[in-house]
Amino acid sequence: MSNTTVTQKRRTLKVAKSSKTLNVSSGVFRPNQSTTKSINPLFSGKSFGSTGDSKVVDKISAQTPKHTAMVVDENGQDVTPHPLYNPDPGVLQSKQGKVFTALDTSLTTMTEFPSIAFQTTNASLTGPFTRSFFGSASASRISQTAESVTDETKDLLVKQDLSNSISDIQSHREEPKEQLRENILDSTANCYLSETETIWLLDIPAVSVSVESEDAEAVKERNNAYTELCKNRQGNDKYVERSMQTFSDASKTKEVQCDSITMVDKAVMCTVWDMYDSFNNISDVSANTVVSSERHEATIPESSSEGHLVHPKRSNQSLSVVSTVSTVSGSSTHIEKMACVLPLDEEPDLQLILQSDKLKQDLALMERVVLANVFQPKLAAYRQLPIIEDPDCVQMVMEEESWTEQSKNSHCPFLERLWDFSCELTMGRNVSCMVWNKKNPDLLAVGYGQVEFKNPNSGLVCCWSLKNPTWPDRVFHCESGVTALDFSASNANQLAVGMYDGTIAIYNVQTSEQTPITDSSDCANLHTSPVWQLTWIDHEDGLAADKGEILVSVSSDGRISKWIHYKSMECVDLMKLKIHDLQWKRHISSLTPGMCFDFHPNDSKIYLVGTEEGHIHKCSSSYNEQYLESYKAHKRPVYKVTWSPFCSDVFLSCSSDWTIQLWRQDLQIPVMGFTSGQRVVFDIMWSPHCATVFGAVSEGKVEIWDLRVSSLDPTLVNWTSPGVNPTALLFSPETDCVLVGDSEGQVTVYKLKNITAGGGSQGETLEDVIQSTLSSQH
Amino acid sequence: MAEVEDTLKRIQAQHGVIGTIVVNGEGIPIRTTLDNSTSVQYAGLLHQLTMKARSAVRDIDPQNELTFLRIRSKKHEIMVAPDKEYLLIAIQNPSE
Repeated sequence: MSNTTVTQKRRTLKVAKSSKTLNVSSGVFRPNQSTTKSINPLFSGKSFGSTGDSKVVDKISAQTPKHTAMVVDENGQDVTPHPLYNPDPGVLQSKQGKVFTALDTSLTTMTEFPSIAFQTTNASLTGPFTRSFFGSASASRISQTAESVTDETKDLLVKQDLSNSISDIQSHREEPKEQLRENILDSTANCYLSETETIWLLDIPAVSVSVESEDAEAVKERNNAYTELCKNRQGNDKYVERSMQTFSDASKTKEVQCDSITMVDKAVMCTVWDMYDSFNNISDVSANTVVSSERHEATIPESSSEGHLVHPKRSNQSLSVVSTVSTVSGSSTHIEKMACVLPLDEEPDLQLILQSDKLKQDLALMERVVLANVFQPKLAAYRQLPIIEDPDCVQMVMEEESWTEQSKNSHCPFLERLWDFSCELTMGRNVSCMVWNKKNPDLLAVGYGQVEFKNPNSGLVCCWSLKNPTWPDRVFHCESGVTALDFSASNANQLAVGMYDGTIAIYNVQTSEQTPITDSSDCANLHTSPVWQLTWIDHEDGLAADKGEILVSVSSDGRISKWIHYKSMECVDLMKLKIHDLQWKRHISSLTPGMCFDFHPNDSKIYLVGTEEGHIHKCSSSYNEQYLESYKAHKRPVYKVTWSPFCSDVFLSCSSDWTIQLWRQDLQIPVMGFTSGQRVVFDIMWSPHCATVFGAVSEGKVEIWDLRVSSLDPTLVNWTSPGVNPTALLFSPETDCVLVGDSEGQVTVYKLKNITAGGGSQGETLEDVIQSTLSSQH
Repeated sequence: MAEVEDTLKRIQAQHGVIGTIVVNGEGIPIRTTLDNSTSVQYAGLLHQLTMKARSAVRDIDPQNELTFLRIRSKKHEIMVAPDKEYLLIAIQNPSE
């Protein structure tokens, strides 16, 4: 730092403390003697001794003297530095040496001073700090310079000079600007980077003094004096306690009246489904307007039960309802809200509700639920579930006890009556056939029609569900008595119905429509006599066009026909039943009526036919000229022939000659014959669970035969009420229940008790029985 | 329409059924086999319960929907088939 010249011309200043740095710094305040101004009155008498610390740094001196007070020179000019000169201190810092030299020389250099300051900029942030500090710093310097103070005024002069210089700077600011600019453009500028001085933001002098410092003695003395004072205070006349009273003004009540603040409670409950509905309704509101013009909206999901209220005539009304519901669903549903928005006419609303499909479904569901309560123990028994007793009702318990008691006590097999399917529609009709649905084991189709030549009345087909034993799910009225039924296996909703007048119809049970899908009444080859049996057969090996299921029927006109239905039914004769027995040749036609048939469970080409002559023929569907085999044992019409589900060689036949015959297909004479009383056997069926068990229905009784136990007598005989003949028998494929249809239109469900299937292979058991019988015969 | 009436009659005729009520969306019974005060009471109470049950079902899964509600009490069983426009209520005493 080229401050040497500065140090030589030191002004005389007051000295409080000595520091070398101060000497240097004091050079700043070297007055420019050429300019003499009057003493700034503001500065007289000010003492800055308190700031006598060695805080001043060299750089400070380079700052322009800034003071917070207003500075007015003798001429009355306001020489308070303007903010414009904030950069100046920084400038001065950097240009420290040059500035000083400038100050040294002449006024002109002083005039250069601001320009230099102007051009070299520095952080203007230091400005305000330095300015305010300068006041103290300069004062401190003033107080600290080691020289003897001779002239206070000189201090002030210095200040004044500086202020004047500032004023000069201010006034001459404009003039040297251009000159210097040109000069400096050519010359090289040297930048001196220097540190700013430490900026003190807070300076609280220490209250405590070091013991070793010079003031320590004085401070100690003062402290001691104070403690003595405190001691002497009490009881000392010098000190008198005095208290003051403040007056409290009289209080005054002031009232203010304002309007009552009405409070309204508002609450919203936000639930997960609420948000979900709002999301969906944003998109659905636009869709609903389209929806309302259509009738069928079953496909629209969930938020459109509004669709049920739609009526084409009332589209406007329904629209309003639609929008209502959609807004209502957005908030917690209030009935009142719906009430005020719905139109005033309530009658149509009532009608709409009562006609809605949903109500029908709900009613059906409710009916089933109610019935489930009523029939719960029976249904549980049917499904082989444990029967749960209701703890709340005592009466039930007693009834059940008596009911189950019988079953527990006896070990012999018996039929436990569960319930019966009957309603007023079916009363008085004769049950002719029953069949389970292939897909839904709870669905039962029952055909009602006369068996014999009675007054032909219209037939009825009822589809019963286990869940509702009091009313059928579907009712189809047919023109003539129903004699044969079968459900299709591939299309489980198709039910083929064979009638007394030879018509075959296929119904779709999914709907309640009374008209069948197809009817054979237009076919040229339709049966002219009652169709006694129908079967759907899966013809895998047929012609390409025949693949899939085919309906086969047997009728009293002596034909076994295969029906194909694409648009209308067409039939192809599989077999014509030619008369073998001369006794029957007196009939008009050359064909003998077929009463029943049964396809082989394993081979769908082989089937057995039972005829009215009493003969049973084994035929093949690929050969329609001749029988493969004939079995002659019955004297009277064969009502039923059925293969054993366990033994592929064995079949059973029943006839109106009071007998049931068990055959093996390779033997011309039956293996066993069963008879029990002189009663016509209407229907037989093998049990699907046990190979040696079959059921038979004859006049007035239901018999269950078990060949392991006895082949002479039925194991179980259940007499029906007098006058009522059981006419049809059906085993339930999944549970151990037997359904018996009778001539009064009732289908009774019985549970087989205490007939066990037994171990070992079923087929072997039956074969053993047969073998033993055969061996015993020879 | 006739089908609806028939089914309602059949339900009412079942064993142990005390009454059946069809309530419209406003809570007014439109078809009932009980007296008016009882019907209105059942309608009001069960409507609230059905709302709560539906809210519970849908809170768990908003795509689900309440289809049937059964309340088994000591003396009887109340069965409610709810819908947006109506409520179908049946009260049965299964032990009779």
